Amino acid sequence: MNPLKILMAAMYVLVHGAAVSASPVDDLVKRVEDNLNGKTAYMEFTMVVQTKRSKRTMKMDSWAIGKDKSFIKITYPGKDSGITFLKVDKAMWQYVPRIEKTIKIPASMMLQSWMGSDFTNDDLVRESSITEDYQATLVGDDDKEYFLDLFARPEAPVVWGRIRMHISKKFFLPTTVSYYDEEGALVRVLDYLEVKSFGERFYPTHWVMLPQAPEKEGHRTEVIIDHAVFDEEIDEAYFSKRALKRFSR
Amino acid sequence: MIFVKFALRNIRAYRNRSLVTILLTTLTTAMLVFATAFQDGSHDKMLENAVEIYPGYVQVTHRDFRDKPSLDNLIFDAAAVRAVLAGHPDIAAFGERFETFVLYAGPEKAVGGMLTGIEPEAEKKLSRLASSLVSGAYLESGDHNQLYMGYELARRLKVKVGDELSFVGTGADYSFAADNLQVKGIFKTALFEFDASAAFVNKQYFDEVMAAGNYASHFIVLPARPQESDVVAADLNKRLDQEYQAESWRTTMEGLVQAMLVDSIFGYLTLGVIFIVIFFVILIYTWLTVFARMREIGVLRAVGTLPGQVQQMLITESVLLALLSVLLGGIIGACLAYYFNLHPIYFSFSEEQFKQYGLAASSMPTAFEPLVILRDMAVMFVLAVGSTLYPIVKVNQVRPIEAIHHV
Repeated sequence: MNPLKILMAAMYVLVHGAAVSASPVDDLVKRVEDNLNGKTAYMEFTMVVQTKRSKRTMKMDSWAIGKDKSFIKITYPGKDSGITFLKVDKAMWQYVPRIEKTIKIPASMMLQSWMGSDFTNDDLVRESSITEDYQATLVGDDDKEYFLDLFARPEAPVVWGRIRMHISKKFFLPTTVSYYDEEGALVRVLDYLEVKSFGERFYPTHWVMLPQAPEKEGHRTEVIIDHAVFDEEIDEAYFSKRALKRFSR
Repeated sequence: MIFVKFALRNIRAYRNRSLVTILLTTLTTAMLVFATAFQDGSHDKMLENAVEIYPGYVQVTHRDFRDKPSLDNLIFDAAAVRAVLAGHPDIAAFGERFETFVLYAGPEKAVGGMLTGIEPEAEKKLSRLASSLVSGAYLESGDHNQLYMGYELARRLKVKVGDELSFVGTGADYSFAADNLQVKGIFKTALFEFDASAAFVNKQYFDEVMAAGNYASHFIVLPARPQESDVVAADLNKRLDQEYQAESWRTTMEGLVQAMLVDSIFGYLTLGVIFIVIFFVILIYTWLTVFARMREIGVLRAVGTLPGQVQQMLITESVLLALLSVLLGGIIGACLAYYFNLHPIYFSFSEEQFKQYGLAASSMPTAFEPLVILRDMAVMFVLAVGSTLYPIVKVNQVRPIEAIHHV
């Protein structure tokens, strides 16, 4: 990005409410986060987990308010149907109908795979706190995208050392996010594809997670948003521990 | 031969000095032999314990499993591996295991840990799991959702024998797996980390709930002669499909083997320092005894004995004394090594410290290895003779007339 553009971006922020954000880059990240989370979101999505040996398809519904509260219910396949997950702030619970038990996921399990996919429990809990835990730097841009580097703040309890984020200039949504560990090795790449409009909002409807670790060779997780409703009222009842069992049926 | 006669005469003539030299060298030799036997013995015991508690002498896994331990690198045809192992003449027992990481949920809290499917009967011969039982009962081949768990894990989850708990994990096909389990037995191996994370179920049940039929993460093999684990592993590698590999405990427990090696090196360094001190003690003592005989040497030289002949005589004395002491010391050390090999030393006071270091043994037998004993005796012989050379050479440089007048 050339200096003139940075200056112009800075001017823009000064004029349009610099009071709420520390820098134009932070403003950009915040805008992306808001676009991804919305005020509220209800979604029906399909998750396809491809490994070296098998391919599994799961379907689920999710309800979310902002970035702090979300509730997910597995609806397919039949044997997993009714498994529910609740995330409130940075805590996460799971209800499993087969054992009739609600389990709080302990911190030590946060890096474990979520439902056998290439997403981790941590992704569900912390993905949305990028503005709090990472310091963003604009490293460049082209005609279509901004390139940001997000470095973990020293005191932040995060998994990634660095996140490289490509942001669409048209939609202010991420297009490709690369996750690096603290040693600087690329661990996984998440692509956000096929942006579609949902009322006044635009949203990527096809996510592809490609893990880069050698033991994950041939693995791939795809999330396809089948249906989404944004910014409509969602019943707060979904975000209590009792809801895990109640809405499991 | 004349030198031997002279030497023997001198040894007898200077009886007290000879006795002190013999005593010093004998004690040192016995100490070296015993210290080596104790060090080797305790290392062997620690390794044996570590191997037998759970990892086993030989492991068969998918070729990539050790570097990339994922569900993609399992043994997918356990029956084929089973057939190869069953047909091997040098294998006493073998069994399959499937290890996976799960979340255990007790009545109050959830804790991550390993859940492993084992063949209860085979496992009795392969590891000390069954004999480490502290309450309840060990698994049986017909068991369903019965859990045999580590003492620390049970304590963390606040469950006891008969209680229910649940697990949530990922099946062999990456599907979601969960079930309720009942605690059948609790074990304590004294390997704290192991007891805090490991729990076992019957493999048949595991296969059902984890969709793991005919899969295994590894096979554990007990060779008929465990000391030949490397040979058996090498031979298995020729017989098994290219996809799989057999490794002996020397590879699978490389870290511990190396730690023991480092410990041995430090052990020998400590002994080395002690022996340098002893070398100088013998040297000084020989110096004093040789120079005390200065006049005698002066007379010998004055009547025409050549310096080389005097030197030869003194060296023969030193060799004879060293030989006798090393033999005596070697026998004493060997007897001690043999006795404590049969009756291990028991460190009741340090059991807790042993546990802290992950070592299950507080009774340490010494190693009784004749070749090592002979090696130590040879080292002591060279040391004992070597330490006398300098005074002997030095005393021969004195002129006869000065030597005769030496007081």
